[in-house]
Amino acid sequence: MGETQVYYFDNAATSWPKPEAVYRAVDRALRTGGSPGRSGHQRTLAAERQLYEAREKVASFFGVSKPSSLIFTLNATDALNMAIKGLLKKGDHVLTTPCEYNSVARPLNAMARDGLITVTEIPCTGQGTLDVTGLSSLFLPHTALVIATHASNVTGQLMPVEELGAAARARQVPFLLDAAQTAGVYPLSLKTLQADMVVFSGHKGPLGPQGVGGLILEEGLALRPWREGGTGSRSHEVLQPQVMPDYLEAGTMNMPGIAGLQAGIDYIESVGLDSIRFHEVRLASKLREGLKKIPGTRVYGPADPEEGVAVVSFTLDGLDCGDVGFILEEVHGILCRTGLHCAPGAHRCLGTFPQGTVRLSPGFSTTEEDVDYLLEAVAEIAFEAGLG
Amino acid sequence: MKKRSYFTFPSIHFAIRAEKILEARGCDFKMVPVPRSISSSCGTALRCAPEDADRVLNYLKVADVPIESYHELEEKNSQGLFSFLARERKQR
Repeated sequence: MGETQVYYFDNAATSWPKPEAVYRAVDRALRTGGSPGRSGHQRTLAAERQLYEAREKVASFFGVSKPSSLIFTLNATDALNMAIKGLLKKGDHVLTTPCEYNSVARPLNAMARDGLITVTEIPCTGQGTLDVTGLSSLFLPHTALVIATHASNVTGQLMPVEELGAAARARQVPFLLDAAQTAGVYPLSLKTLQADMVVFSGHKGPLGPQGVGGLILEEGLALRPWREGGTGSRSHEVLQPQVMPDYLEAGTMNMPGIAGLQAGIDYIESVGLDSIRFHEVRLASKLREGLKKIPGTRVYGPADPEEGVAVVSFTLDGLDCGDVGFILEEVHGILCRTGLHCAPGAHRCLGTFPQGTVRLSPGFSTTEEDVDYLLEAVAEIAFEAGLG
Repeated sequence: MKKRSYFTFPSIHFAIRAEKILEARGCDFKMVPVPRSISSSCGTALRCAPEDADRVLNYLKVADVPIESYHELEEKNSQGLFSFLARERKQR
């Protein structure tokens, strides 16, 4: 990257920069060493304590009283696949939305293609909101799972997940919530959301490093593990031990990642979850309103900023979104994401398929001046393109 | 209107491999977003002048880098815009 300044507006992909404490925690974990459950010496015990502390802290952050209900995974995609493929069986019906990230859509599409399951999508409006008026009629006797994203990674729109959770709970159907865009931003609680499983990404909102995510499971929910192997417990047994969390955590844990995640969450708690969200949502609102004033823009996102996360999508008439993103970077040093954002279904709802959008996602360290700079840059592109 | 050559790849892995090989060969090229008029598995394409395309293709073949497609396109509106704005590149 050299010495030139960059303006980072891609926190929805991965948060950057991290708080200093996160970098230090990763370094410290690497230097401490030790692998939980693999030996009895002091390094192992230190790592085991670190793992326990992290699990307890992260579980508490997500409103989970039993730490063993929190499984650390590689990322949200890993957790989603673990949940989907561990729960569903042949003949099951799944209720989901068209706005899902590919890590929900692709596993479901593959299982449907292979004749294992059937899938129904809850209708979505052209504004990217869910239409839950006919929800009860979409449930079938063999509906085995409801899956929904908490917020769209394209528009930032929060989905009516409380309604989905309530409808699923009333019919004793498990509800899997993909909180990849809301973890570390909105308070999450299985109880309030009536979710049986919540998936989060460690490297977005929670400000942890890449390589860590999590699956939170309601007690008593049984999943078939996708991987079986060394757990450091009951090694004499030839089959995977049934006790949580070992049951779903075979193999060496990403200790540096988990330590970094804990430090990220500690930082959020010290500054205040609400105050970080307030800052990000306010910047996203300013972006949205500023973009609307630029001739030739179409802006996609919730009408009420309180109903969203800090993600804004836009297009400029007649310009390819990839080119706009490229110009933003090459000329102005602004980093963002363009295209379909691994959520083609959301774009089909919005009418931006296949061309996609430019997506901007400010973070905790983004400033008002950064937003002003970005708006000037987009205005210049629009002007030079003859749009205004 | 200026013509440009675009190579696309099956995945970003091969696009980066192509970049590495051509950099080592001192070729004149740029990694750019795939133009929307081309469909591609990977969002990053290799752009060069049409007169350099044969040379690029040879290097990639020798290094066993799979190419998904090759296109020659006339520079369109937003790319012309980019060239204009690049001349005004801000110092930061």
